[in-house]
Amino acid sequence: MKRLADYLAFFWLSLVVILAILAPWIAPANPYHPVADPLLSPHAHPPLGTDNLGRDLWSRLLFGCRISPGAALLSALLTLVIGSLLGFVAAILGGKIDRILSAVVNAALAVPALLLAMLLVAGFGPGITTVIVAIGLGGAPAFARVTRTICLQLMEKEYIYAAEALGATRPHIVFRHLLPNAAGQIVILATTHYAWAFMGITTLTFLGLAGDPSLPDWGSILNQGRSFLTQAPWFVLAPGSAITMTILSIHHIGASFTAPEFPAHIR
Amino acid sequence: MVSFTDRSGNGALRTVARRLLEGLITAWAAVTVTFFALHLTAGDPLSGLFSRGLATQEQIETTRISLGLDAPLLIQYLRYLAGIFRGDLGVSLYTRRPVSQEIFAQLPSTLELAFSGLLIAISLGFVLGILSAWREHHFTGKLAALVTGMATGFPVAFTGILALYAVRTSYQHLPNGSLSPIQHLVLPALVLGFASAGGIARVVHAGLRESMRKPYMLAVQARGIQRGFRFLWHALKPSLPPAVSMSALEAAFLLSGTVVTETIFARPGLGRLLIDSILDGDYPIAMGIVAIVAIFYTLSHIFADLVSVAIDPRLRRRSQ
Repeated sequence: MKRLADYLAFFWLSLVVILAILAPWIAPANPYHPVADPLLSPHAHPPLGTDNLGRDLWSRLLFGCRISPGAALLSALLTLVIGSLLGFVAAILGGKIDRILSAVVNAALAVPALLLAMLLVAGFGPGITTVIVAIGLGGAPAFARVTRTICLQLMEKEYIYAAEALGATRPHIVFRHLLPNAAGQIVILATTHYAWAFMGITTLTFLGLAGDPSLPDWGSILNQGRSFLTQAPWFVLAPGSAITMTILSIHHIGASFTAPEFPAHIR
Repeated sequence: MVSFTDRSGNGALRTVARRLLEGLITAWAAVTVTFFALHLTAGDPLSGLFSRGLATQEQIETTRISLGLDAPLLIQYLRYLAGIFRGDLGVSLYTRRPVSQEIFAQLPSTLELAFSGLLIAISLGFVLGILSAWREHHFTGKLAALVTGMATGFPVAFTGILALYAVRTSYQHLPNGSLSPIQHLVLPALVLGFASAGGIARVVHAGLRESMRKPYMLAVQARGIQRGFRFLWHALKPSLPPAVSMSALEAAFLLSGTVVTETIFARPGLGRLLIDSILDGDYPIAMGIVAIVAIFYTLSHIFADLVSVAIDPRLRRRSQ
């Protein structure tokens, strides 16, 4: 049962990646132009019918494989770079710089991350680029805080003290000992963060903050389908299931990454 | 005996006072972040009016001066802070009505939804968490764990739409009006509560499993206390504070979740107002809503801390 879920999650994510790469070649129609009557059922226009403007829904979802997971990837990368940089600098330099950076990070954490992202969209103006940047920046404070904690914990390890005692310079300790050891945990953190970024991107685009309504990302398609719920349920079921499957798969794979729990008496 | 009650009373009071002070600082920080996040990214808030042909260049200049937008950013920030204490959050760029008025018109509706959602999240979260730990190797426990996973994985937007679809198709024969109480509060609150229940259920489940492994549980078992009582009293009690903190964390999620649920169920409220103000570029409203929500978020954390301290005496000693 557990194995089956592992395979399913892996299969789904690989499928999304492959479809994203192949989208322009395997899509039966242009995702931006009407090809048939609006709101045709999957029977009348296989495989998934058409949307309210007569565009082929399957082609739109295929191109959405590029936009939604890709946008979340960019956001998560932005968070990774900004968040881990802030966290590392605060932890390594310490003192006054740590206090200032931590104060800024804690202040930003006082605003719920998704709301912070919405606020940034308000500032930049709606658009998919804006949404990517806003989700990336909105997730950065939490990421910075965890990175700082990881780094501070590592700095208490014996091998760091040993390196110091042996007369290693600070840059040597940071680049040879600290960063390589922190990298694993940061990557795991980034994986779990990716699920949040994906959820955030689809939520903001669902709310219509991507600006351009012709953009075939999953959140926007879900939003368009919402008005035709009873006439054309497939119009919302298809993008909604794609989003949900992706989130569940990332959650599942992220959970299997976390280190096995040690019994209390070993520590 | 007298000295004991005195000391604990003082300590509790001091804890409350300190947490309130910390909360005040956090709220100030949140407002500051809100202000600068918007002003550093937005550039000129009035240029949108001009580019859409809603105002002439002259009108914009006079508006700029009347709204105090010609002052340096730091001065505007200090004015905004001072305004908050007077309940003045600026005026809407479009309606010219005070932002506080616009917000307070929508606040009760959102609070109603958020509180019902939180209530459902907490009760559902506890039921799921307890079931999945108590009947871990049985069907019910596995089912509860599955539902927990679904609650954390399903986006609010999709569960909301599915719920709406289910109700619309099964109550098709009813006239539209008779649906309204369900569509208006029960359904959105259920959707919102379900989404937030997952996190709480996980914390409850983890807490229960951890306390079941503790030596004192063996002692309780040796005293011959029944499993149900052992479970729901001795094991559950120590896992309450983390569950309470998690509920406060979920409050943040809940508040952003109201934006989505209000959109899906066409329910008026702060969420709708926020999205509309973002799409229209009505900055003062967006800023005011985020500031208010951040203050509520801070308050929920303080409240959760105080509840935790009230439940767990060990935390009381630590915080003194």
